[in-house]
Amino acid sequence: MAIDVRTVRSQPVSRVRPAAGRSRSRRIRAALARFGVFGAPGLLVYGCFVLAPVGLSFWYSLTNYNPFNPQTRFVGLDNYRMLFGDDEFLTSLRVTSVLTVILVIVPNLAGLGVAMLLNRKGWFYNTWRGVFFVPMVLSSVVVSIVWTRLLADDGVVNQALGWIGVSPVGWLSDPSLALYSVAGIMAWQMLGFCVVVYLAGLQSVPAELYEAASIDGAAPFARFRHVTWPLLAPALTINTVVLLISAFKAYDHIQVITNGGPGSGTTATVAFLTLQTGFIANHQGYASAMAVVMLLIVATASAVVLRLLQRREVDL
Amino acid sequence: MPRTRTTAALLALAMAAPLSACSVGSDSSSSSGSSKGTQEITFLTFETPNLTPQYWDAAIKRVTAKYPYIKVKRLVSPTADRTAYAKQLRASGQLPDVMIAVAPTGFAEAGDLYAWQPSELKDFLFPGAGAINGKIYQLPTNSQSIPNVYYRKSIFTAAGITAPPKTYAELLADCAKLKAKGTTPFVVGGGKDAFPTVLPLTGTVGTDVYRKTPDWMDRRRDGKVKFAEPDFVGALKKVGDLASKGYIDSKMVSLDYAATEQAFLKGKGAMYPMGSWFAASGDKSPIKNDIGVFPWPTDDGSELMPVYTGGGIDVNAHAKNLDAARKFALAFQLDQTNLDASVKSDALFPAIKGYKQPSDMGPVFTETYDLWKQAVKDQAIVKAFAWETGDDALLPGVDAKVFAATQDVILGRKSPEAAAVYLDDEWKKAS
Repeated sequence: MAIDVRTVRSQPVSRVRPAAGRSRSRRIRAALARFGVFGAPGLLVYGCFVLAPVGLSFWYSLTNYNPFNPQTRFVGLDNYRMLFGDDEFLTSLRVTSVLTVILVIVPNLAGLGVAMLLNRKGWFYNTWRGVFFVPMVLSSVVVSIVWTRLLADDGVVNQALGWIGVSPVGWLSDPSLALYSVAGIMAWQMLGFCVVVYLAGLQSVPAELYEAASIDGAAPFARFRHVTWPLLAPALTINTVVLLISAFKAYDHIQVITNGGPGSGTTATVAFLTLQTGFIANHQGYASAMAVVMLLIVATASAVVLRLLQRREVDL
Repeated sequence: MPRTRTTAALLALAMAAPLSACSVGSDSSSSSGSSKGTQEITFLTFETPNLTPQYWDAAIKRVTAKYPYIKVKRLVSPTADRTAYAKQLRASGQLPDVMIAVAPTGFAEAGDLYAWQPSELKDFLFPGAGAINGKIYQLPTNSQSIPNVYYRKSIFTAAGITAPPKTYAELLADCAKLKAKGTTPFVVGGGKDAFPTVLPLTGTVGTDVYRKTPDWMDRRRDGKVKFAEPDFVGALKKVGDLASKGYIDSKMVSLDYAATEQAFLKGKGAMYPMGSWFAASGDKSPIKNDIGVFPWPTDDGSELMPVYTGGGIDVNAHAKNLDAARKFALAFQLDQTNLDASVKSDALFPAIKGYKQPSDMGPVFTETYDLWKQAVKDQAIVKAFAWETGDDALLPGVDAKVFAATQDVILGRKSPEAAAVYLDDEWKKAS
């Protein structure tokens, strides 16, 4: 049961005596020391491996830092000004946005459908839950290699289409299709995660609510709309935020399946372009500016989505 | 109070533990190596259908048998682009001690690489190949002709083609015949490896740009020429025309290097523009006697061969065991058995004085090697565009843009003119 912090009243403040003051300061010191023992290692790791690199990236983004050219100088906001006139970066933003929309919607919807189908007891359903979750535990590189073979010009998918008289489709070579193919592969891999989260949500819905709704004459769709869907709000929040972040940082699938192509930038996400710019073209200052912009976009989008979806949870 | 003191002591211990762990770890690692007299070096390799893990392990073992005190930790690049991987390793402070076929541009200027001394290069045929500011950072171990056009003799015969083309017009006529027979004339891939896409362009730039202006890339670096000038655009146009006429199947650009090679060997196309290293795979295949080779043809039929010399080992100037790294590198590159193995496994042409290739080489290698030898003899050599690694190399990162632009032209996403302008823009960004 949640505790409403607003109902917790502070104790009446009595007159502070010197002995009580010493005791209180001892308690504070002890609490700080305990916090130090248990919290400091975590904070140290977080500071070293998250905050410091973020701060360093921001600093690099204000310079022309190139690790192969030691003459680094401060360039102010030049990198940011250049970014918003850079067609390649703007294309990567568009690619990332399309990927994000697909990746947030498709696995969410499909995951909900599959979870509802599998929300039953028995070995058959348990087996299928496992089957749907398998792609999630596989390395994205493995998944990418397998799908690259399946979607090749002479791959299984095109062969199967050939049997029904459909000519081969350039799933990964047609610039107008490649991004959707990659998004489909990523959505397929994320589906298992959504299914598991929705299943957990479905299983936490009290059966009495369904009984009550049935007694009130609610049809199956009405029961879903008025009972299941509102109570799945936390699951929807988790799935949406996780999918959003996964889509924004998409790199490994792109690297293995298309290498950003076919052609220039058709599937190059911001994360992919950032790495290419930083580690192949060596412009790490400029790449850091891309990373900072991406960080701001992801943080803002996540915060907005989280706020909107959590408000829905609170309204229940 | 005692409890607070105990907690504070625990806190101090917790904070100090990682520091002490670091110092113990680093001491132990350095002392363990020296106490046994062994010197460990890291060696960045890459694996391809030709260069298997077994090939690398055996080659390393031959050198460490000569220098038992050298212990080699082999690293493998996750993709064919080992230069990009080396940059990532460098960024995290893990630049390997020894790296093979990693383009030295950028690393050398930053002072990361050991500059080979003339006395160390005395056994090399072209000791000045790939120089950066007059110094050699990558051992000029082998030459490669890029591209050759490998073709299936049986498919040519079936299409009524009796001899490989000598001129570019004959090549187009042969493509028309092949297409009329329902055969895709060229297998050109790319996929995640990207580089197979650029081979036709390396051919057309060789015949149409470098032949006329051998130092074109030096001039591009000096800003005296641009991509968006008639000669280079013409070279791009030739590639675009091959695609627009259906002589290159644009669907194949999704194939990675290994899949592209398989597509040719399985007869998915009649011709395969590829570097001389393909000869090794060709000779291993059951259809080796059905594979022929000719150079990318010039307009007038005169002899021309784009060639790259270099591709050897770079040594990290800051290697902990620099002497061992240098010794290993030279021994690896000059070992007769290793050279023979590189010829057999990757069809390299060792540019080592007095080297003679094994007598039992297959027909594809022999034919490819003979073409190269003839071109060297006739001085019909130009540099191989997009493969240069010295002062005349593309700027860092631009090679990936060249691959992408070539794909755009093949896919019809960009006109040759637009692709050339794009390359000039990318060049400017990379400068």
